Amino acid sequence: MERAVPLAVPLGQAEVFQALQRLHMTIFSQSVSPCGKFLAAGNNYGQIAIFSLSAALSSEAKEESKKPVVTFQAHDGPVYSMISTDRHLLSAGDGEVKAWLWVEVLKKGCKELWHRQPPYRTSLEVPEINALLLVPKENSLILAGGDCQLHTMDLETGTFTRALRGHTDYIHCLALRERSPEVLSGGEDGAVRLWDLRVAKEVQTIEVYKHEECSRPHNGRWIGCLATDSDWMVCGGGPALTLWHLRSSTPTTIFPMRAPQKHVTFYQDLILSAGQGRCVNQWQLSGELKAQVPGSSPGLLSLSLNQQPAAPECKVLTAAGNSCRVDVFTNLGYRAFSLSF
Amino acid sequence: MSSESSKKRKPKVIRSDGAPAEGKRNRSDTEQEGKYYSEEAEVDLRDPGRDYELYKYTCQELQRLMAEIQDLKSRGGKDVAIEIEERRIQSCVHFMTLKKLNRLAHIRLKKGRDQTHEAKQKVDAYHLQLQNLLYEVMHLQKEITKCLEFKSKHEEIDLVSLEEFYKEAPPDISKAEVTMGDPHQQTLARLDWELEQRKRLAEKYRESLSNKEKILKEIEVKKEYLSSLQPRLNSIMQASLPVQEYLFMPFDQAHKQYETARHLPPPLYVLFVQATAYGQACAHMKSSSQPPRQDKTLSVAIEGSVDEAKALFKPPEDSQDDESDSDAEEEQTTKRRRPTLGVQLDDKRKEMLKRHPLSVMLDLKCKDDSVLHLTFYYLMNLNIMTVKAKVTTATELITPISAGDLLSPDSVLSCLFPGDHGKKTPNPANQYQFDKVGILTLRDYVLDLGHPYLWVQKLGGLHFPKEQPQHTVIADHSLSASHMETTMKLLKIRVQSRLALHKQFASLEHGIVPVTSDCQYLFPAKVVSRLVKWVMIVHEDYMELHFTKDIVEAGLAGDTNLYYMALIERGTAKLQAAVVLNPGYSSIPPIFRLCLNWKGEKTNSNDDNIRAMESEVNVCYKELCGPRPSHQLLTNQLQRLCVLLDVYLETESHDDSVEGPKEFPQEKMCLRLFRGPSRMKPFKYNHPQGFFSHR
Repeated sequence: MERAVPLAVPLGQAEVFQALQRLHMTIFSQSVSPCGKFLAAGNNYGQIAIFSLSAALSSEAKEESKKPVVTFQAHDGPVYSMISTDRHLLSAGDGEVKAWLWVEVLKKGCKELWHRQPPYRTSLEVPEINALLLVPKENSLILAGGDCQLHTMDLETGTFTRALRGHTDYIHCLALRERSPEVLSGGEDGAVRLWDLRVAKEVQTIEVYKHEECSRPHNGRWIGCLATDSDWMVCGGGPALTLWHLRSSTPTTIFPMRAPQKHVTFYQDLILSAGQGRCVNQWQLSGELKAQVPGSSPGLLSLSLNQQPAAPECKVLTAAGNSCRVDVFTNLGYRAFSLSF
Repeated sequence: MSSESSKKRKPKVIRSDGAPAEGKRNRSDTEQEGKYYSEEAEVDLRDPGRDYELYKYTCQELQRLMAEIQDLKSRGGKDVAIEIEERRIQSCVHFMTLKKLNRLAHIRLKKGRDQTHEAKQKVDAYHLQLQNLLYEVMHLQKEITKCLEFKSKHEEIDLVSLEEFYKEAPPDISKAEVTMGDPHQQTLARLDWELEQRKRLAEKYRESLSNKEKILKEIEVKKEYLSSLQPRLNSIMQASLPVQEYLFMPFDQAHKQYETARHLPPPLYVLFVQATAYGQACAHMKSSSQPPRQDKTLSVAIEGSVDEAKALFKPPEDSQDDESDSDAEEEQTTKRRRPTLGVQLDDKRKEMLKRHPLSVMLDLKCKDDSVLHLTFYYLMNLNIMTVKAKVTTATELITPISAGDLLSPDSVLSCLFPGDHGKKTPNPANQYQFDKVGILTLRDYVLDLGHPYLWVQKLGGLHFPKEQPQHTVIADHSLSASHMETTMKLLKIRVQSRLALHKQFASLEHGIVPVTSDCQYLFPAKVVSRLVKWVMIVHEDYMELHFTKDIVEAGLAGDTNLYYMALIERGTAKLQAAVVLNPGYSSIPPIFRLCLNWKGEKTNSNDDNIRAMESEVNVCYKELCGPRPSHQLLTNQLQRLCVLLDVYLETESHDDSVEGPKEFPQEKMCLRLFRGPSRMKPFKYNHPQGFFSHR
């Protein structure tokens, strides 16, 4: 018998282009709404999609509820980083940071609330913003990226108050020490720097690649991710994923993971990390691999833990990376489903 | 006795006549003579009755005398004789009296006769007069009835109504004061008016007639002129034939074609008409925009035998014999072998798949003088149309091995519209027909019959519903017309892109990436990576490659596509590229999947930059299209891959632990080596400045 080929097979020009776009999509950033029910995801085409976690997690979830509620073009370039305040969604990509009202984002055709560009020195190429960090105590936002500086922006006035210089290559990631107003930054130059916001100075530098235990020259020296918890700091990238004791600046645990890690976070007494490869890795602090939960993307770039107290039913871990899908883990053991662009 | 009487009368007459001579002798006689004696007059005076008495008396006397004489004679004696004598004298007197009486009787008789006759004549005359009068009366009566029965002509005339009459007629005709009370006058007046009007109309009629006459004459003249024109035109046509041939304007041929076209089946006819119309419209547009060139880009012709087509209209049993000779032979042979069931089925299949003897040839000429020959057939029993395609080029092509299927009739038109692979019958009713004769699918017959693409049906005006089988289908001009332009354009684009690919493949096989001068700006001047291999692979092989899974999963690797494998090398680095070439090239771009063998195997799943490279050629293909109609896309994509490989290798961070210099020193100018969370390399080439940056 003849094969039943539907007449509308996706072979038209538009369909092929769409399929290719989806195939080559990378989701760089995620952020959970302050109410905890929505998840924003930004991709390499500059689009931000808002997924409804509550709808996708509800018992009568259908295929459509795993599709974005709204998708809109936020930036011209990729959306590298996103973060949520109690009212706003801040997104950053090539050169500028934009603010969107969460309330309006859910409606179609919303416009940005404001956008700011840090004072850059070069004009040849607009440096990207790779990391955003909120400092609640002084109500400011720290932006870091291509121009090797940490820019502090006052959220009240929208002005850039200071720039912290010290990195010799672009900055990948930021982390805030909660007790004291100190910020950690890791960059392409292989160094993790500790900044004191009160004096706006670099107080400590750890050049990870110089420590033989964790150095992996064939992967490069870049620090792709870091997280901190009181005196502890975990960082990874080109060098192996390593747990550091900050006060003594010594690596305490080296996690046996070959692939470079792109995202790491503390969760209860575990460390979650993701990067090259399909899996979300769960580590004991002692360095044992507790579990490897496979996701649907060939490589992961960001993890997001929804710990908003407002929506306890939506307490999930989401992971996104080199695909158009956002994997949702309802518990840490396995992947429940994927949200898809 | 009579002689005696006549003797006696004579002397009397003489006596009377000779009286004057003897008058002296007898006075009485003379007196008598002098008084004029007329016996006729005497008659009047005498009474016929007394005469009758006298006659009777005389006769009796005579009888008595006779008897006495006899007596006397019989007794004889001497005295008798005296007595006899006496008696004789007495008898003589009596005789005289008798004679007189006789005469008188005669006269009387004559007189009576005369009188009767006279009276009779009178009566006759009166009678005649009476007859005449009666006749006259009758005639007059007849005349009267005739008059009474007379019908006037005017009663039949449909007169205008009274009101109208008084309204319209001029007063000298209507004479209202006279005619109002008198119906006779009124009628007369109305008749007058009628007459007046009729006269006018008659006048008009005459005028119109003369007018008509005039026009007829004019027409006649013009007709004569026209008929005289025909032979002249014919002679002009004859004379212009060489010119037509010289200028490629085959008007005559076109005319002949229209004749043949009448025998086309409806769908082919629709196609023929629409294609011809489109061709002419194109020619017009061209000639108006660029006058000097008037070459036809679309030519339409009809092929096949008209006689066979005509034969089809005869009763069906004839039509079968009217097939070509070979067919007839075949039929004979099959008749001989009839017993086997399989042959019978075979026969039925052949009958079902029979084509109409006429076909329409469409030659679509492209800008570079290559021609796409399309032959459209009509399958009579299936009510679908099929097409066979052939491409001829102006110059002989060296056929590269990898270009095998590019121009093959089987695949050159595949998927002209998305999903239209032309291997399945578009008429849902056919499936039932197939089931009957045991044809599983039309796919097996497509090579022989031609492809029943959907667009072909649309060009022929055949529209098939997707459901509802057994639906009657009528050839529809509007459907064909609405699809003609787009289809022709697509066909042209298809042929041109195939030819362009054909050319590109020829170079690619020799490891040359034929970048044209107008696309040179897309690439830096120095490209070190080289294409070393370009081969065709089959669909199954492509499916089994380990780095193409996501393409297959995304449904982009259908069996209508063509598959190729390219190998790009630089030093020890080998980049494999698996290419999916959609039949809709170049509007649908070729899709690349990469696998780099250098310091381990790198694919998009373990190296973000390989993924970025794929995305550069697959997603950002639009900037590689070059000038329209972007046939150079494939070449540009391959060249771009070479550049990307250069960038990838040169920007790879140097491993300090390895001794010796870098294998690939950085020659490209880059602003930054890495950027963003996924550490992208600067793949974007900025043309005039010649440096690389991040996208």
